Amino acid sequence: MIVIDAGSPVPPFEQLRAQLARQIHDRTLAVGSRLPTIRRLAADLGLAINTVGRAYRELEEAGLIETRGRAGSFVSAAGEEARERARQAAADYAAVVASVGIDETEALCIVEAALRSGDAAASASF
Amino acid sequence: MANSSMPSAGPRPAKVRCTGTWLQRHGLGDGPPTPLLTTRLAVRRRARLLGSVLLAALYIAAALVQATDRLTTAAFGGLWPRRATLVLVLSVLIIGLVLARTLLDAWVRRVDRQAGAALARRVAHPVQLGWRILLGWRYAVLVAGTFAGAFALGVSALAVGEGTARYAAVVLLVAVAGVGLGAALQLRELLARPVVAEDEVSLTADVIMRIEDARDSTAPSMFLGLPVVLLLGSAPGWWNAAALGFMVLGLAAVIAVEARAPSCAATARQVVGVG
Repeated sequence: MIVIDAGSPVPPFEQLRAQLARQIHDRTLAVGSRLPTIRRLAADLGLAINTVGRAYRELEEAGLIETRGRAGSFVSAAGEEARERARQAAADYAAVVASVGIDETEALCIVEAALRSGDAAASASF
Repeated sequence: MANSSMPSAGPRPAKVRCTGTWLQRHGLGDGPPTPLLTTRLAVRRRARLLGSVLLAALYIAAALVQATDRLTTAAFGGLWPRRATLVLVLSVLIIGLVLARTLLDAWVRRVDRQAGAALARRVAHPVQLGWRILLGWRYAVLVAGTFAGAFALGVSALAVGEGTARYAAVVLLVAVAGVGLGAALQLRELLARPVVAEDEVSLTADVIMRIEDARDSTAPSMFLGLPVVLLLGSAPGWWNAAALGFMVLGLAAVIAVEARAPSCAATARQVVGVG
């Protein structure tokens, strides 16, 4: 379900983009699901076509959806592939940790530190 | 939410009660009978009532035309020269009914659009609904079967009938084709019609109304009734038996499909993803 609140301070295109992105991430919208056409969703939500078009464009740039010409827009597999890569890397890390004899608590601390340093690096790059 | 369809004084208590009953019947009793739902359901109730009255009027008028034909044919010794006029009257009645139903649909659409324009909060589905969801395969097979059956009866009456029966068969074929085309266009329009909802309950109700509208506009009653109404008595005996058999079997199929197909509410809840 997508909700657009005209009284919200968040612009309608951002409300739409954020809700679709969340539903793609939490798999409410499965990979390959066909999204409504821009015109259709604009009519359903009482929005301008450009507003919906902008939300779709940003989702496409983020790799969450893909447009297949006249067939329409579909939930992309890119997000799913990224998760799979992360799962694979975690499995490899678990194997390394087990082989060198590091205990679970320390292994988790190393991951947390790596994630924090990743966040710091990402913040610095902005 | 003040507009022409939703007066600022609010809907009348009787309409609100009807909406509450409708919500209860479809398992949405926890949702309040909002002005949006009350307005949309009230216009549908009126349109359905008028549609049923028009259909009944068509059957009565067609029966009167047939009776007039029989009486005058007997009076003129089988050579009454105004048969073509009667067939024309029947054709006009059927075209009038199809046009009237189109106008009723346009009325419902207009009220929906006005109701939607007045909402500050809009809700929609992230996926597109298809005809399979709206109609369901059982109902689609039933409609296609009754259409094909009525058309086959019309063709057979045209092939073997004489005089009035041939004229009436032409009217039947035109009517069946016209009603079929009208139903297909209506279904296409229903799929394209914008969602009018402000929360989860009204979104579920929107899908239910959509399914009810789709089933109503493709109802096989015209296909089942028209062969008997237009041709019974003037066609050969075997044809009369076949038309009656078709009607009885069709009615049995309608009852079976109604009993076995998932309810509108269950389909709508599945679409919206509610419990």
